[in-house]
Amino acid sequence: MLQRKICLLGAFGVGKTSLVRRYVDTIFSDAYLTTVGVKIDKKVVSLGAEQVALILWDIAGEDEVAAVRMSYLRGAAGYLLVADGTRPETLEAATSIQSRIVTELGRVPFLALLNKADLAQDWAISAARLQALEDAGWTFRRTSAKTGDGVEATFEELAALLAR
Amino acid sequence: MLDLPARISNSLFALVQTQRAVAHLLVDDTQTLVQAGGHLDHYGLSGLRCGEPACDQVPLLEGLLPLAETPFLIRSMEMPSGRVADVHFIADESAVWILLLDVTAEHDEARRVQQKAYDMTLLSQREARLIEQLEAANQELTRAHRELAESREALLRTHHRLQQELRDAERYVRAILPAPLTQPFALDWRFVPSTELGGDSFGYHWIDPEHFALYLIDVCGHGVGAALLSVAVADTLRSEALPRTDFRKPGEVLAALNQAYQMARHDELFCTVWYGVYHRDAGLLRYACAGHPPAILVSGPRDCAGQGRSLAAAGPCVGISAAASYREEQCSLGSPARLFVFSDGTFEISRPDGSQMAFSDFTDMITRPVEEGECELDRLLNYARQVHGGETLEDDFTILRMAL
Repeated sequence: MLQRKICLLGAFGVGKTSLVRRYVDTIFSDAYLTTVGVKIDKKVVSLGAEQVALILWDIAGEDEVAAVRMSYLRGAAGYLLVADGTRPETLEAATSIQSRIVTELGRVPFLALLNKADLAQDWAISAARLQALEDAGWTFRRTSAKTGDGVEATFEELAALLAR
Repeated sequence: MLDLPARISNSLFALVQTQRAVAHLLVDDTQTLVQAGGHLDHYGLSGLRCGEPACDQVPLLEGLLPLAETPFLIRSMEMPSGRVADVHFIADESAVWILLLDVTAEHDEARRVQQKAYDMTLLSQREARLIEQLEAANQELTRAHRELAESREALLRTHHRLQQELRDAERYVRAILPAPLTQPFALDWRFVPSTELGGDSFGYHWIDPEHFALYLIDVCGHGVGAALLSVAVADTLRSEALPRTDFRKPGEVLAALNQAYQMARHDELFCTVWYGVYHRDAGLLRYACAGHPPAILVSGPRDCAGQGRSLAAAGPCVGISAAASYREEQCSLGSPARLFVFSDGTFEISRPDGSQMAFSDFTDMITRPVEEGECELDRLLNYARQVHGGETLEDDFTILRMAL
């Protein structure tokens, strides 16, 4: 069976672990539990006639004192760059991570997730900023780990991208 | 390397092995698992099969082999059993050793500290966003308040201008009212509009040396529109500006007035009119009425209680029906007598409890004896205000008194 390593990256508190829990176990908890280090999950998906095992690396969020270790991405076929739609600073953290990945690992397929789409009333990211990043080649998907909206579709979209 | 005796080194190794639950894997250059040992169960890695691909059995290895750097460390990796390990990768010729050392306690402690720090950071970020939103809302409110203040100032300026114009209009309405007469008989009046501009107007004039016309108009409603129509009707009567009309004949006058002031052409406004003509030599009063309250004739000396006679005549309000006709009535008018012509605002007075003053209360006041030095028109006005419970009445208060 094909195996593909996919890393989830982003600032702390954007919902990376919740996205994995929603995708792998179809559960969600409102309680925020920070991730230290790395947690690995595996999910097998069918892509046409082929089955692919996705090895999901849920990597601790980046903060002001601890940057994501690029060596953890070694061997990753792709990654999901997660931002919290209600915290504009997390989109800037995502752009910083993405530029370091390009510098150190080259161009690796990725999708950018604007998570917490259920909190539409608190949405704080400007359309102009999104447009600028889209112009730079980013592909955005809106997700909500809480409601499940867009979660499975986004993981499988990336899986399909990597299976080509 | 530490230069330690073998027994100490062995003790140290035993200590690490015990406290860190050491487990190991050995993977060759074909990424086949060739050896596995130590506390593998502790990490949920039991049942590994040597001689088979390592990455299929241990997902964390996916993509990491062959090693790009050695030694290589992945800190705090949560293992399938829930325990947390530091995972050390060490190249050994063509194979790679993978050592797992339990750091669950350190991980949990680090997580507690990090959780608090992140909770605080998220809280302060949320607080900063709220402050930003509040400041934006405050700025918006300040701007709206400023705009409101500017609008209010503009409105006040407009209001003051309109008030001034209304006062000018009111002055004009009052200026064209005829002055009280003392000869050859006394004619006095009180005119108190309920707003700055009312719907009442009146007039009197000599048609010829023998005939004296007296009239009162009450337009429905108040304000500029009603005042304009009222003044226009009064002016029509004063200037006798109705074609082919004998102004000595009240019925004919009201019929012509009704033709001239149909409500369809006057913004749906209509009015009541009492119109009388006093023939001095004959001592006769002829009168007609267009929906107006009857005038009251009180005969006898003013210092005695008199009998009030209602001078009513049939006819609808002016302006409602073009086909209307007005019945003319007449009565003798000899001295001593007082004729009162008034609008409904003089007797339709509401009390503070909501009840209405009776018309008989009004006629009682009119027929009461008048004491020396007393002005019966002021007495009536004061009585109306007293009944109403305030200076400003609900409707225009207009009354004329002709005393012979």
